[in-house]
Amino acid sequence: MMRDFSLIWQSADRLLDGLINTVLLSLVGAALALALGALLAIPLMASNPVLRLVSRGFVDLMRCVPFLMLTYLVYYGLPRLGLRFDNWTAGLVAIVVYNTAYMAEIIRGIWSRLERETIEAAVAFGFHGWRLVSRIILPQVMLAAGPMIGNQLIQIIKDTAFLTIIAVPELTHAANSIQAQYFIPFATFITAVLMYWALCMVVEVGVYAVERIAERRR
Amino acid sequence: MTDTAVKANDISVLEISGITKTFDDKVVLDGVSLTVARGQTVCLLGPSGSGKSTLLRCVNWLERPDQGTVLLCGERIGMRKGGVVPMGNAELARLRMRMGTVFQHFNLWPHLTVLQNIIEAPVHVQKRRRDEVIAEAEALLENVGLADKRDAFPSRLSGGQKQRVGIARALAMKPELLLFDEPTSALDPELVGEVIAVMKSLSQAGSTMLVVTHEMGFARETADKVVLMDGGRIVEQGDPEQFFGNPRTERARQFLQRYVSA
Amino acid sequence: MTFNAFLSLLHGAGVTISVSLAGIALGVPFGLALALLRWQRVPLLAPLATVYVSLLRSTPAVTLCLLIFFALPVIGIEIDALSAAVATLTLNTAAFNCEIWRSGLMNFSRDQIEAARTFGMSGPLTFRRIIFPQLWRTCLPSLVNEMTLLIKSSTAIAVIGVAEITRAAIRIGAQTYDPLPPMLVATGIYIVLVLVFVGLQRFTERVYGHAGGAA
Repeated sequence: MMRDFSLIWQSADRLLDGLINTVLLSLVGAALALALGALLAIPLMASNPVLRLVSRGFVDLMRCVPFLMLTYLVYYGLPRLGLRFDNWTAGLVAIVVYNTAYMAEIIRGIWSRLERETIEAAVAFGFHGWRLVSRIILPQVMLAAGPMIGNQLIQIIKDTAFLTIIAVPELTHAANSIQAQYFIPFATFITAVLMYWALCMVVEVGVYAVERIAERRR
Repeated sequence: MTDTAVKANDISVLEISGITKTFDDKVVLDGVSLTVARGQTVCLLGPSGSGKSTLLRCVNWLERPDQGTVLLCGERIGMRKGGVVPMGNAELARLRMRMGTVFQHFNLWPHLTVLQNIIEAPVHVQKRRRDEVIAEAEALLENVGLADKRDAFPSRLSGGQKQRVGIARALAMKPELLLFDEPTSALDPELVGEVIAVMKSLSQAGSTMLVVTHEMGFARETADKVVLMDGGRIVEQGDPEQFFGNPRTERARQFLQRYVSA
Repeated sequence: MTFNAFLSLLHGAGVTISVSLAGIALGVPFGLALALLRWQRVPLLAPLATVYVSLLRSTPAVTLCLLIFFALPVIGIEIDALSAAVATLTLNTAAFNCEIWRSGLMNFSRDQIEAARTFGMSGPLTFRRIIFPQLWRTCLPSLVNEMTLLIKSSTAIAVIGVAEITRAAIRIGAQTYDPLPPMLVATGIYIVLVLVFVGLQRFTERVYGHAGGAA
């Protein structure tokens, strides 16, 4: 067993590359999904029923479809419509599209529970439209959203492992190729699992730090 | 004073006429008319449910009246010229930014510090220069006695402090009209005084104020005009001396008996 | 897409459903066992359960599936793909179910437990006769919610070649050089499956009270 782990140590650069890809895909994907989700929350909260119906339809659809299924649709399906991505980009697109729906639903939920009075005060002071949303509503939503966004980020980190199936060189893919080369599946996958664990711990520490900042304003 | 200022003095800052508002068959305002002249402090009194707060909300169109008109310095609020087409949000915002509102429950923005609360609308709605607004905001904080709370978050303030920030926030808009919606009703009794003191000094400095309140002492000492509402109508209005000393209507007498003796 | 292709998608759906149901059937009681260990603060085992839950909640199902399928034979345990699939879903869902059961146990009325003690009921008897009959009702909506998540993560078992829905869709797509139709049909099947569970969740919520979140 010690020999196995020393073999892994020798291929540490490959695992590290995988880890970096996992982190990059997760962070970039989560950041884009959060930004787009915030935009998508606006029609979800709109008074126009058509806007609401269309945006709700997209969100509910994404919540019914497994992430891998959406990845396949992006990777194999979109080229049929003339949109061709390399594996990495296809993976990122799938993460962003899928999680935009989840982020939007998180934001909508908090937004709808926000105190109406602070929004009304802003209206009385002449805020309206995008500026009302961006200056008064979304900052308050983000202040409360830390733990839920953290949970979603953990979900995204875990979902990136699916991308091994379309050969994106992320952590699980790297681990799988190392174990296939040296036939040391136990040591490699355990190492990978521990790395995922560490990543999720980092996210939880981050959420804790953000909560301390938010706490001062509650 | 310049010529234009004298001319502006001729028209009322606020002119409300024939406002009617119904919520689910319940008539809340029933043809209310009222004017506030420049520099005047007008106090709206009345039992709860008499429609005072709704009237205030109709002034800045947070509530849309069923009938009637509201003029701010002669400009119609809520409806475009002709009075048929309702204003869009942007047009309403241009009029709203000329008024400053102080709310019963303060309604400070929790994600912003005291100073940020005050400069938020002047910078981002009125598009004034940030450094200029900050200097003014600091002076306002000094005036309401909260210079040391500049960088605190609202959640760390007492109710009285919150409301003084609320007043500073309204003043930072350099409003032509200040609206107060029961500014002391949510405060502990011992904190009412500090807020009343600030409001009195504003009134003496010549601000134009429409104040919904239950503070009879404030109305008596500070108001230029007192308006009593009941059941969605104005029952009696006049100068405070006469209203508190010798009310003309039986309803006013009953009201004063209950609220002033208490 | 041919009728045969459609049949093999349906067969894939059958695999997804049966593997998921097996995972649920094993994972729900396993989760309860873990929750009881932590709730009773059993020495040694309770901290182990805590680590297990934390670790498994941050392990991707795909990685877990590869670990089980490729690593167990190395340490002398032969396992076929289908059993590895069931084991993956069971171990994964048990961690989440543990948290659901545990929060139900933590919120359980202490008064009732004390009352049972005064009537001379033993610990296990109190659990069987007093706690559990109420506990499963309060936990059911959240458990059903977790089942919906399990259906969605069951696609992970495709990685070791189990012919569930996504795998079947890919194979048909590769044979016909037209991947889109089988994928859309597969997506439709998932929507139906998830909606059945969401409906079940709404039903249990109505009957037994509210869950923490939606699917």
